[in-house]
Amino acid sequence: MEAAAAMDHHDQHESTGIDHRKLGMWVFLSSEFLFFGALITNYLLYQGQPGFARPYPAEIYDIPFTSFSSFALLMSSLTMVLAHNALARRDQHATRTWLLATAMLGSVFLGGQVFEFTEFISVSGMKLTTNPAASAFYLLTGFHGFHVLLGVLMLLTLYGISRRQGELSEASGLNLELVGLYWHFVDIIWIVIFTVVYLLASAPVGVG
Amino acid sequence: MATHPGEHHHPSPLQYVKIAILLAVLTVIEVALFYVNEAADMRGWDAPLLIFLAVLKFVIVVGWYMHLRFESSTLSKFFTAGFILAIILYAVMLLTFGVIALGS
Repeated sequence: MEAAAAMDHHDQHESTGIDHRKLGMWVFLSSEFLFFGALITNYLLYQGQPGFARPYPAEIYDIPFTSFSSFALLMSSLTMVLAHNALARRDQHATRTWLLATAMLGSVFLGGQVFEFTEFISVSGMKLTTNPAASAFYLLTGFHGFHVLLGVLMLLTLYGISRRQGELSEASGLNLELVGLYWHFVDIIWIVIFTVVYLLASAPVGVG
Repeated sequence: MATHPGEHHHPSPLQYVKIAILLAVLTVIEVALFYVNEAADMRGWDAPLLIFLAVLKFVIVVGWYMHLRFESSTLSKFFTAGFILAIILYAVMLLTFGVIALGS
């Protein structure tokens, strides 16, 4: 009876040959392209529109600083995949270490974003309503930062579970994989934002 | 996880580190291109080069760190479908509003 119930449970999860939670995560991430695509497009539409109060985002970017925080986020993908690899080798201590390192690198990125926003608002005077490009910029990077914050919270939750239970079980192992997928996705979205919004930025002609 | 039967072997930690070094180098080239273009106008060549480098980084992270190249093709199809749909949808929008243009 129990074996049959277990078999049913197994079938429910593996009818596609792929764990449904994993499939769900990939579909969710796929849908996120549309979400971030809309925000990036919104920014591109407004970044070059003249006739509004200055400064425009492209005038005040601090590329060396943003490059550093981008680098931190990029390297967090390495520590994330090392945590995944360590769990596959059943090395619980290394898994915890790499999870914590990933959360820390994510926090460095978030700290950098808070610093950047503070500088833009208080020093450069680019507030949320200064011009449509500024609104689009804060909306885009703010939502990305929110995704990073959620990722950091999920990483710390996994770390806490691992500390409390002494190890991550096989079920938690799948959770780690799903959190890892989410984390890498946040990283690839930043790869696009860093290039399109920062490095290819342009202010309206005659401004800046 | 890497231990599931039928799955391919994932890269080793050393290979992951090598991939990270490659990603770091690509990022350095991106930032360098930005400054080269600031110092000497690259006549519009900076944009395609920067986009190419970003796409390369994107593919490396998705393929190796997210393990998509080792996963079932069903997952690849779902993920790629969303990406292509978004690219087409927003490219049409940017073309419509004249943010990007076909040809010169």
